[in-house]
Amino acid sequence: MKTFPGRNQGEDVHVLDHLQYRIENGKFISIIGPSGCGKTTLLRIIAGLEKASTGKVLLDGHEMVQGSEEVGMIFQEYALFPWRTTLQNIEMGLEIRGVEKEKRRSTAMEYIRSFDLNGFEKRYPRELSGGMKQRVAIARTLIMNPRVVLMDEPFGSLDSQTRNAMQEFLLGVWLKRGDTIIFVTHNVDEAVFLSDEIVILSKRPAKIIQRKEVTLTRPRDRTSEECNKIWREILKLLEEEMKSEGKDDYRRSILQST
Amino acid sequence: MKKESYLLPLVLIFLWQGLSSLQWIPSYKLSSPVEIVLGLKDLLIIGMPPGNLLHHHVLYSLYRVGLGYGVAAMLAIPLGLLMGWSPRIRKMVNPLIEVIRPIPPLAWIPIAIVWFGIGIKSAAFIIFLGAFFPILLNTIAGVLSINPILVEAARTLHAKEKQIFQKVLFPGSIPSIFVGMRIGIGIGWMTLVAAEFTGVKEGYGVGYMIMTARDIQRPDQILAGMLVIGLIGLLINLGLRTFESRVIRWRG
Amino acid sequence: MNRRAFLKYSAAAGVTTAVAGVPSLLRSQAPEIKIAYLQSDIHHLPLWVGIERGIFEKEGVQVKVAGIFKAGPEMMSAFAAGALDMGFVGNAPTITALANRTVRLALLAQVNTEGSAIVVKKDGNLQTISDLVGKGVAIPGHSTVQDFLLRKALLKLHLSSDQARVMVLKPPEMIGALRTDQVEAFIAWEPHPAKAQTMRIGRVMAHSRDIWKDHPCCGLVADTGFLEAHPEKAKAIVRGHVKATDFIHRHREEAVKIAIKYTGMDEETIRIAMDNVHYTCLPSVDGIREYVEFLTRLKYIKVDDTLAFLNRLMRPEILQEVIGR
Repeated sequence: MKTFPGRNQGEDVHVLDHLQYRIENGKFISIIGPSGCGKTTLLRIIAGLEKASTGKVLLDGHEMVQGSEEVGMIFQEYALFPWRTTLQNIEMGLEIRGVEKEKRRSTAMEYIRSFDLNGFEKRYPRELSGGMKQRVAIARTLIMNPRVVLMDEPFGSLDSQTRNAMQEFLLGVWLKRGDTIIFVTHNVDEAVFLSDEIVILSKRPAKIIQRKEVTLTRPRDRTSEECNKIWREILKLLEEEMKSEGKDDYRRSILQST
Repeated sequence: MKKESYLLPLVLIFLWQGLSSLQWIPSYKLSSPVEIVLGLKDLLIIGMPPGNLLHHHVLYSLYRVGLGYGVAAMLAIPLGLLMGWSPRIRKMVNPLIEVIRPIPPLAWIPIAIVWFGIGIKSAAFIIFLGAFFPILLNTIAGVLSINPILVEAARTLHAKEKQIFQKVLFPGSIPSIFVGMRIGIGIGWMTLVAAEFTGVKEGYGVGYMIMTARDIQRPDQILAGMLVIGLIGLLINLGLRTFESRVIRWRG
Repeated sequence: MNRRAFLKYSAAAGVTTAVAGVPSLLRSQAPEIKIAYLQSDIHHLPLWVGIERGIFEKEGVQVKVAGIFKAGPEMMSAFAAGALDMGFVGNAPTITALANRTVRLALLAQVNTEGSAIVVKKDGNLQTISDLVGKGVAIPGHSTVQDFLLRKALLKLHLSSDQARVMVLKPPEMIGALRTDQVEAFIAWEPHPAKAQTMRIGRVMAHSRDIWKDHPCCGLVADTGFLEAHPEKAKAIVRGHVKATDFIHRHREEAVKIAIKYTGMDEETIRIAMDNVHYTCLPSVDGIREYVEFLTRLKYIKVDDTLAFLNRLMRPEILQEVIGR
């Protein structure tokens, strides 16, 4: 169970504003919002890569320590270590933890098998396709069994076919494992396909505009009427958000910075 | 394709030999290719000064370079990694580096002789100065060029600072370190020959050999010596590149 | 101004320039002989005397110092490049350069014999040549006369020069190397041995005359191209050289002053140095021949017919004409 109240300010730029949220174990949560609203910043705060100016992140009621073993992160740019093979990338976390070689190898090989990376263990990232690279990145994170998995637009660099395939892949993995996932994306379609709940953020400074639960059973049909309905609702909210001048917010932030 | 790259040098050499045979290029100004080869033979069999054979000169020079370069690499790589990693250390050490770096190594010769005497230590010191800075600067650049997202990925995998250094910064800088090492050995080898011009204790060294050939007025041997020096430089570079491609297999 | 005036003025300017230029034109056509010597080498005192006392001018020639070199081989390079007409330089580099065919020179007269010494540390315990075995000895270069002197000295005691650790240094650096014990001895031309003594760092173990009496040292050489084109000028220089050498013998005090001026060294050093040098114009054919054989034996040069080589090298007829023998 994770809570994060928070406000983050960087250089007089109000990025997040009084977010308060609670996530339950094993849920797949997507965060959607206009560009630049601070979705990535939020994720980085939870990951411990940045600090919130006020507020904290709580895990099961205890405050989370930066760099703790409880959170894993997957980046849009894969962030694979180019000098390490697929196998070595996957076992990186275990190596850092100090797990001995035999055990590391065998555990990593399991992931290689189940993530359909057979034959590519000794290859280097530059030899892998985008979809493969992201699978390696996901394996690298999941092998650590973190309490919360953060994903920052992980499929953003992929073409739409690979993207759909990766969504199905992720779904399959999650259904088997039941991790708690916080998934940031631009793509409403993707959010609707994957999530239990979708959090919609406003423009910067980001507030939660709405939380939409998606109770449809999985696997979901992207083309179905129910999916489309939710999709349209969310899109409308986002469009309104983009249109609104946000005069009040603007004036407020000017006053605050003087 | 390969044949063509040999064509031009061969044509030039033939032209050169022709001009020399006709004495359009007088031999005291520039020896002909044939004379250079004969001079090389003399260097191998008789030696310059007579009795000091070419391969001994080469071995001594390589030993001096190895010493100076080895110390330079052993100091510059760790220091470079440290300076790349810690902005504080970088700010502290940088001014000192930037002041010493522009001083040509050869300008240090008089001081080196006073400090270390005439011998391998002073020659190794001069070479050290030549090789140290390229290795250092390239190592620092290597660390700084690592994509910060890789460091963050390591952090999310719960790496401690020391592990980030070992597992991310060091491996990531290796290509740049190699660049620095190649530049460093090039400069080191060039510096050695010039440093030997000023005097050696043991009577061996390729720079010393050329200097003596000059004293004895054997321009053919001077050029033969220069050829040897160039070839050795080439071989060293090739060797480093081969080593590099073995170590760095992850690049395109 | 109008065109006429402008033309008048420019014509006047042109004529003035031409007139002003004529003397310098004439001057540049006056025969200036490009001559060189070795830096601070007291063996070359006759040249300095000749310049200072206007002796060459009285012979009808202008002398221009076209180079002051640190060592003989450097001067040989300048000759090869055609930059010099005549020079005061050691017989040793002359012979090697000529034998290896990098220059075309002729030896017109001797400049001095002797004038080198083996120097050891003043308070050291090296006493005789045999003490040099296993010690570091600095020489100015391979194939120099000092190199030969050292070998000859060791050979006399049935020792080979390999038994001393020979090291090549530039003579100005030798004193410093002796002081810091980089070497235990050095052999060099004057005034470096004298300077070591006046600096109280070294003392003479042996003068070169003790090793090889009357050994040749420096000579007056001429580029053969220059010699063939201007034999009279070369003769005039040789004449001036003979007179200057004579002057050194007759007016020693004056000569000392000139030596001090050209070497920049103190009087005590100059006096000691000059005592060790024998200024003479007569070349010693035997000495030079022995030298050629030494260089051939050690494979520095390849001279099969020594006599032919000596004929190529020396021009005794010029000196004979000048001296009138």
